[in-house]
Amino acid sequence: MLTLDALSVRYGKHIALDNVHLRVDPGETVVILGANGAGKSSLLKAISGLVTPEPGVSITLDGHELAGVAPHRIPDEGIALVPEGRGIFTALTVDENLALGAYSRRARAGEARQRDFIFDLFPRLAERRKQIAGTMSGGEQQMVAIGRALMSNPRLLMLDEPSLGLAPVVVGELFDALGRIGASGVALLLVEQNVTISLELAARGYLLEVGRVVGEGSAAELKEDPAVRQAFLGLNA
Amino acid sequence: MTLTTTLIAGLVLGGTYALVAMGLTLQYGIARIMNLAYGDMIITAAFAAFVVQALPSMNPLTGLAIVVPGGFIFGYLVYVFLLSPLVKRAPDKATLEVDSILTTFGLLFVIQGVLLVLFGSNYTSYTFLNVPVSIFGTTVAANRLIALVLALTIGLMFYALLTRTRWGTALRAVAVSPQSAKLVGINTDRAAAVAFAMGTALAAAGGTVISMYQTFTATGGVVFTMKALIVVIMGGVGNLLGALTAGLVLGIVETTVSTYLDPGLTLAATYTIFLAVLLWRPEGLFGRRV
Repeated sequence: MLTLDALSVRYGKHIALDNVHLRVDPGETVVILGANGAGKSSLLKAISGLVTPEPGVSITLDGHELAGVAPHRIPDEGIALVPEGRGIFTALTVDENLALGAYSRRARAGEARQRDFIFDLFPRLAERRKQIAGTMSGGEQQMVAIGRALMSNPRLLMLDEPSLGLAPVVVGELFDALGRIGASGVALLLVEQNVTISLELAARGYLLEVGRVVGEGSAAELKEDPAVRQAFLGLNA
Repeated sequence: MTLTTTLIAGLVLGGTYALVAMGLTLQYGIARIMNLAYGDMIITAAFAAFVVQALPSMNPLTGLAIVVPGGFIFGYLVYVFLLSPLVKRAPDKATLEVDSILTTFGLLFVIQGVLLVLFGSNYTSYTFLNVPVSIFGTTVAANRLIALVLALTIGLMFYALLTRTRWGTALRAVAVSPQSAKLVGINTDRAAAVAFAMGTALAAAGGTVISMYQTFTATGGVVFTMKALIVVIMGGVGNLLGALTAGLVLGIVETTVSTYLDPGLTLAATYTIFLAVLLWRPEGLFGRRV
């Protein structure tokens, strides 16, 4: 479904991504593992159009070229991003955040159905529709961020470090919800430092190191990969 | 003057302040342009209303239907041709702030110069419904009451537009986080242009309302820029209801001071409030943003 070919991103002289190839199949959950500064966020931002990749790249969704498409047109293509740090509209209410999630043309028809799905997924949001989003707890704000992204009725949902700064119990609940979203047929592309829990959720993964893909495979293979075990799981190979 | 008279006069003035401050807070909060020519856009609208109301079978009220859309179009063109190039090349918010202040400072003198050529430097006014009306045991000129009702109606209409529609909510979302606004599919460049144009339309409405009950001059714009700026900061930048409330408060304070103390102290009182807010509540009297 999503195919990245020869994706490179540089900020001035700094090379954030170097010739990355990656694919996500329909309905598949894929995780990108890597340390801080490995280029994980740049990868998601490049797909969303927020950073401009180097020429020669091809980013396609079902054969449709996305490189060079303005960021505000990406939701209409069926791709939603939950950015690092959540990026919710803190001064607006939960309801307003969700309504804006359905701002794109693609989202309008199925708006009511998506809202029901989100409230079923996160009953807390249904209880707090009128609350100003910025006054909620970290876990609740992450629910708002995921809910807002889902409102655009995406075929591919991308999440940048959704577990960051959350208590382990909350992370568990969040990943249960992500599992249900994946089961509903939405493809997930996840960037995470919490390797254990994301390899349980994902079917496949890529290992990114200073801007290059240095490993890829099924979740089971990655769990046994010496590099992954040593770098992220704190285990001896 | 009785207390009621003072209060009504204060509300009339305050309603006008509230209306124009809402426009400035839109321009600064959403389009991120600090518009120093804002007061001159108000004065331009006052002159436009003066011209339009003199046309056959027109009056200042019907004139609004021409002046306000005219303000919107003027604001849109100013943004697209003068400001959007600055936005595109600015590497960060601070640069844009400096560039937009310098550019609109220049625009101020261009607008003022054109008005001076067209209308001269004299005080201008026209008579519209200058008849006494009895209300709450006191008499007020009908044009002032109309000015108050108009200011509040137009202000609340814009407020409803921005808070009750998805389109308006999207504009406010740009004020909170331009980056996230893009992620949900909002064209932030166009949103900024529309917000700037809406702000100019509010300035035009304010200018028309002012022309109904005050005299005005081509060089009088800077006072309105300052007053609007003070009200915006009192209400909290980007806070529409804050601007509405702070405008009314400032109008009442100014009228009270000039009635019971000394008219010469009006400006001093205004700036005292302004300084107090800056020192103790820099986020505005009403805290929350947008």
